[in-house]
Amino acid sequence: MSEAFTNEPIAVDDLPRLRNDSFVSVDPRYVWGQLAGLTVTAVAVVAIAGAVVWVSGAVLWPTVVGGVVAGALVALATGSMLEARRLAYQLREYDLSLRSGVVRHRVETIPFSRIQHVSVGRGLVERSLGLATLEVSSAGPDIAVPGLSVADAERIKQVVAERAGVDDEAIDSERDEVTAGRLGETPPSTPGQHWPPPPASPPPGSP
Amino acid sequence: MIDLAQPQRQSPLAIVFLGLRALRSLGVVQLAVLALFLVRGAADGRLVVIGVVVVGLFTATSVLSWWRYTFQLVDGELVVTRGVLRVDRLTVSVGRIQSIAIEQELLHRMTGLVKVVVDTAGSSQAEFTIDAVARPVADELQHQITVRSPITSGAASAEPERPAERVVFQHTPGRLAIAALTTSPWAGLALLAPLFALDEVLIEPITDELSAVAPDADVGSLGWWLVPIVAVAVAVFVSLLNLGRVFLADWQLALRTDSTTLRRTSGLLSRTSTASSIARVQVMSSRRNPLQRRAGLHDLHLSNAGQGDIRLIGCRDDEFADTAAIAGLTAVGDLPLDRRVQPAEIWLRVRNTFVVAATAAAGASFVVGWWALLALVPIPAVWWLTWRHVRTHRWSVGAEFATSSRVVASSTQQALIRKTNVVRVTQSIFERRRGLAQVEVATAAGTITVGMIPIEEADAVRDVILHGVETDRRAWM
Repeated sequence: MSEAFTNEPIAVDDLPRLRNDSFVSVDPRYVWGQLAGLTVTAVAVVAIAGAVVWVSGAVLWPTVVGGVVAGALVALATGSMLEARRLAYQLREYDLSLRSGVVRHRVETIPFSRIQHVSVGRGLVERSLGLATLEVSSAGPDIAVPGLSVADAERIKQVVAERAGVDDEAIDSERDEVTAGRLGETPPSTPGQHWPPPPASPPPGSP
Repeated sequence: MIDLAQPQRQSPLAIVFLGLRALRSLGVVQLAVLALFLVRGAADGRLVVIGVVVVGLFTATSVLSWWRYTFQLVDGELVVTRGVLRVDRLTVSVGRIQSIAIEQELLHRMTGLVKVVVDTAGSSQAEFTIDAVARPVADELQHQITVRSPITSGAASAEPERPAERVVFQHTPGRLAIAALTTSPWAGLALLAPLFALDEVLIEPITDELSAVAPDADVGSLGWWLVPIVAVAVAVFVSLLNLGRVFLADWQLALRTDSTTLRRTSGLLSRTSTASSIARVQVMSSRRNPLQRRAGLHDLHLSNAGQGDIRLIGCRDDEFADTAAIAGLTAVGDLPLDRRVQPAEIWLRVRNTFVVAATAAAGASFVVGWWALLALVPIPAVWWLTWRHVRTHRWSVGAEFATSSRVVASSTQQALIRKTNVVRVTQSIFERRRGLAQVEVATAAGTITVGMIPIEEADAVRDVILHGVETDRRAWM
């Protein structure tokens, strides 16, 4: 016997809130990765400026250009440190949120039911620091959560893949081909989990 | 009955289209140069031999391409086999096909064939064109793909009945003329684009010859009274060009629907048919300038996931409402649109404009003296435009996220919130100081943004949207 359809009003104040104090900061080693990249760039700039001075004998312009670039790198390093303090994620039952941005604060949320792909990427610097980036794609914008420990990234990927109905084994081998089931469908229910949530809207069939 | 489960080959006339496409791939300018070269040197026997060899190569390649190109629908997948030296076998799940368009260019019309353009989700490599097939085959393919999609019809429907299609509206030539004359005429210049492409080959020699005929002609000596006449002549000319463009592209513009798909057909010389499943419509936008408002017409844009956007010009209010209803949206006049934005935006824009204008004026004052103050003229204009935008900007969130504003032209954007893929709340430094924020609702085919609202309201809207998305079990695409 089918469950009776109800459509009770919901008070907006009773809706679950995305709480600011529930965000989890990324790994502190993330900032070292950022600074390492900037250091490599700074060394390259100093080397090029030194080479120009040595070859041409001109001192003024290489010094000015080098100084400007060095100032920009210092600003970027400061920005990276501030960004690392702000960068945080929040995993809830039905969505993943990312908090980021220094100049423009940004909180973006992607519901699991809209996720198409999920993968874990590791760059050269990240590998050396034991970090990883969780990449979550939707049919619209994508979200990347950098600065996660490898274990955390894998765990979150597992949870997201399960809840989004993505075959995460296939993701690693054939990243471009994996979709969250058929496009547009909400994930299948899993025993022991409240998924999909109880319907608060008319049943499928309407456009 | 056309059995698409069996490999289908294009019409043999496709060889001509494949050859033409290969020729087109050389480029318009190169082709024009080649044609001029051959015309001027036609007497030379060697050129004739080269020409014969080139044409032979193109023909052989086209015949082989035609022979190797087959398509079929097997177990809900469109399988295309193509390639001469390297054979590609492309398998696309019907569920991933975003839109399928049937086009009929002039040559197609003469031969009674059509071109089919298939757009898939994600990869541009998986988009392909079937150059020339018989109309019934194309119609059957379009029907099977749009209706047999597992999302729109359910996996169980192996052999679906073709649902009756109804015409939502079809524009008369008179309506198209009004639509063309009430929109910006500059788009008509697109008709002249091929001439610009041939600039080096054709136009430069002509202008060189003209300057040789009248070397001392001085436009300035003809008098300023010519300026308004030339302006009017240009306006009339571009309006006529635009009229021609609209007639060519949108002749007999019609929107049709059955229970699951939308189909737009139009075109004079080349007839285009774009079909998309209704579920793939993500955002609906409308726009009307003061002339269109006076004529009671709207330009509509249905943004679909993928390349199959549907643009409809010159729609009346009732046609707008019908189209919105088909897409599951509310007619814009019936939307509550009860929320407003904060006037802080006026201060922000005026301040930013003032900083830029004052800097420009200070710099220019060294050169032009007091005339540099003219750089400040845009400030009141920016103030008025922003004031009007803030005053008329309304938005709402319910089953739909919708915004509307009217500065000079009026525009609306609306999307079902269950189409949301990502929702963002952002704050610039300016907004943080005033406790304001911006909400961005991103779908698979565009983002609707509302800025300068209190942060508490933005957070609440985000929570409402997430609740809507996460508790709605209906297919969203």
